[in-house]
Formats: sequence, structure tokens, C-alpha cells
Amino acid sequence: MEYALDILPQRLHGALKRHRVTRSLRRPPRYFTDTSNFTAIDYGDIIAIDNRFLLVTGYTREGRFGIEEQVKPWVPRTEDLENGEKFILKLVFHETFDMQLGQFTINCYRNPEKEARVLELVKDHPHFMHGRSVLDEGNNLVRILDIIGGSRLDKYIHRGELSHQEYFFQKFPEVIRQFLECVKGIQFLHENGLRHGDIRRDHIFVERDTGLYRWIDFDYDFYMPERPFALDLYELGNILTYLTARERFHQKTILNHPDMGQAVLDTIVPGDLSVLSKNRIVNIKKLFPYIPDRLNNILLHFSYGTEVFYETVAEFHDELAEAMSVLG
Amino acid sequence: MNDWKKILIAVDQSETSIKALNYTADIISNLPDAELCLLYIYPEPPPNYYSRGGSLSDYQQEKTAAAEVIFQNSMDFLEKYKLQKKVITQSKMADHITISQAILEVQAEGQFGTVVVGKRGVSKAEEFLFGSISNGIVHHCSDFTVWVVG
Repeated sequence: MEYALDILPQRLHGALKRHRVTRSLRRPPRYFTDTSNFTAIDYGDIIAIDNRFLLVTGYTREGRFGIEEQVKPWVPRTEDLENGEKFILKLVFHETFDMQLGQFTINCYRNPEKEARVLELVKDHPHFMHGRSVLDEGNNLVRILDIIGGSRLDKYIHRGELSHQEYFFQKFPEVIRQFLECVKGIQFLHENGLRHGDIRRDHIFVERDTGLYRWIDFDYDFYMPERPFALDLYELGNILTYLTARERFHQKTILNHPDMGQAVLDTIVPGDLSVLSKNRIVNIKKLFPYIPDRLNNILLHFSYGTEVFYETVAEFHDELAEAMSVLG
Repeated sequence: MNDWKKILIAVDQSETSIKALNYTADIISNLPDAELCLLYIYPEPPPNYYSRGGSLSDYQQEKTAAAEVIFQNSMDFLEKYKLQKKVITQSKMADHITISQAILEVQAEGQFGTVVVGKRGVSKAEEFLFGSISNGIVHHCSDFTVWVVG
């Protein structure tokens, strides 16, 4: 085991000793150049990579909706001891797992190489998180990510005390204008043969300083050889449904809603539900009648009742842009 | 329009593949100038194949061996129709394209006038997520005929 103070340049000893993380540490900070065994790395340790000495200051957390958030030990938050710059590191973790989507099971993978390719491709794209990939001394492809200061899109749209109708006519057009740029970003990935892989409403961040919407987290991948981009497309539809309704509507949500209840629930037929998730309503116009048909028709492409699917993200984007031009 | 008697048939291990073969053989067994190509297209390896230490050549060898078994079974099936002399075989990986696109590429390269595929009968949700090879081919066909055998 190597200790940081034995190896770090003398000029950084003071910064390490004074840091809030190491001040409360009851053991000497350690020094890692190989992140293969990432579970051995902890708060207060140093990861030396890319000519930087990065102090581990915390860990990111993630949970699927409804599941308690879990620490991701392969994704530490770090600070450059030299200049205080903050980064998120993604260490190599070749996890394989099955994702349940309605009645289907999809094999998913964490794919560091794919994320590295995406980072390279989008390095100048304003609607993606940025970062670079470097090999550590154990030949692990570590991704060094810039931190986006801002908030998750799904939290952002709930700001303010707006009714749904006020939200829809005042805030939604601008939300969709920015979302369309994100959709174009996904189209750009697909045109370059890459998937996002984990499109979710909390994987778009609204940057505080610029107001830009930016995609994060590209390391998931899946294996669907005949429809390689279908899952990305489906999830874009899910986000649009969420942004339109401002929440996810199930039968129970309708029943408990003060303006809806049994009368609205009685109008819901199987064709109003999601093609892949049979308890989620996508025919949002039945809940909020002021939603224009053109927008609602886009949502219905993701319904069980649809006869036509979008083949590409470009088709989805163009129809949404047209629908929004009417809304203003 | 390409010669319809130059026929490309996509085969795999499925029952619908045998049905498609049966249907095609019934039609062409009395046509002296018909030609049949058995085609086996396989997808690229899954993303975690390489991280588990596999190589592309290992994967392709494995798939080529699987193709040989499929071709042999198909040839055995065609024996009763006395068609073996009219049959050629080809296997290929769908390299950065979908399986239906790979079939269409082989069709264009070989100027086949008829493409035969089996139909699995997938649900709407399955088609959205996993696609349908027969639909993919029907949507993009021009200058040739598609037989979809259900």
C-alpha cells in the first residue's frame, strides 16, 4: 500500500493536510495509480491520473425511480489538489444486468469504451456533458468528467407554484425548445452509430449559468441488433410524456387527482397506455384537454393503440418541432 | 426487375425458416432454371463479448460453424426435392448494420429477384423494441419480390 504523503510532491502536502476531507480522516490518505480494485479506494485517497493528483471527496449516488439511492463506488467525486478543480471520475466497472421493460428483459452492460467514444464525439457539443478518457497504470479506461452545475430537468420543471395549465402555456414551450436541442443531440449520436443507452428524465441537466439542457451518463449499452436505437427512441417518448404531463400518470394517479378521479379514469382504454408499460398513460389529452392534438399524436406513437412507430429520432424531432411551432 | 427465379432465402434455426424453405422448394422444384441461395446472417457480438476476452475471429468461427449446421439441415431437407445442385450457401455478419439491411445488401450484390423470409409473428411491442426482419425487408424492397412465409 502506498501513502499519499510519501509520494505526492512536497508543494501539495499542505493542500492535502488542510483539506476538509483529510482533516477528519482517521488514517493516512493513500495513493492510487491503478483503479482496477476501485472498492479499495475511499474518501481522502488520491488518484493520480492524467498528470493530476485527484483527492476523492465523495461519491455519486444513483437509484432507479422509487428505489433508494445507492452509492456508486466506481464514480468518485474528486478535487485536483493543485488548483481545486472538481471532476467526477468514472472508473471501469464491467457490470452486466437485465432490465425489465414491460414483459421484456433486455440485457444491459456498462461499456466504458462506448462512453469514451461518445465523450470524444461530443467534446464540442453544447448539449452533452464533457470529459476525456485516459488509461490509468492498470490500463483501465478512466473517464474524467466536468461537473455540470445545475439541476435535473425533472426537478427543474416543478419550480414555481404553477398549475398544470399555467405550466403548459407559460413554461412548457421553452422547455420543449431546449428539449428539441437535446433530441437533436441524440440524433447526432445515432447518425454516428452510437447510443446514449440510458435516456431518463434525470439524465438531462439544466445548467445554471447558461440555461442549456445537457445529457449526462453514457456508459450503459444494450444489445438489440435489429433495432439498435429503439430503446433510446422509446425513452425520448417517455421524457416527452413526462414533460407534457409534468408527472407520470398511472390509473391510481388519476383516481387520486383532485380534478380527475373516477370520471376521467373511466375514459381510459387499453390503447391509451404505453406500448411497453401497460400501467402508464400516454394519451395525456384525456387528462388535460387543452393539449393540442398534434402534440398528443406524437405521444400516441408510444401507445399500445398505435399503428405506426417512429423509425428514427429524426422523425420524432421533426414532428415535435412542427407541433411546437403551432403552440408558440 | 431482377430475375424472380434467382432466389435468396434467409435461414436460421427456427421452424419458420424450415416453413419458408418448404414453401420455396415446392414452388421451384419443377423450374429447371431456378437458383437458390441459402443465406445465414448473424449479428455483431454483444458489447460485453470483448470485455470477457472474446475476439471477433473466435465469434465469427463460432457463427460459421453454426451456419454449417443450418446449411446441412437445410440441404437434408431439400434432398427430397432433388434441388441440391441448384443451391449455394453464404453466411455473413451484419457489420454495423441490422440483419435486414445485411440481407438487402446480399440481395443487391447478387441481383436476386426474390427474397424469402420466415415471419415469427411478433407483437406490436416486440416489433417496436426488437424489430421485424420481414417488415424491414418489405419496407425497403425495390426491383425484387419478397415472399414472407408465416
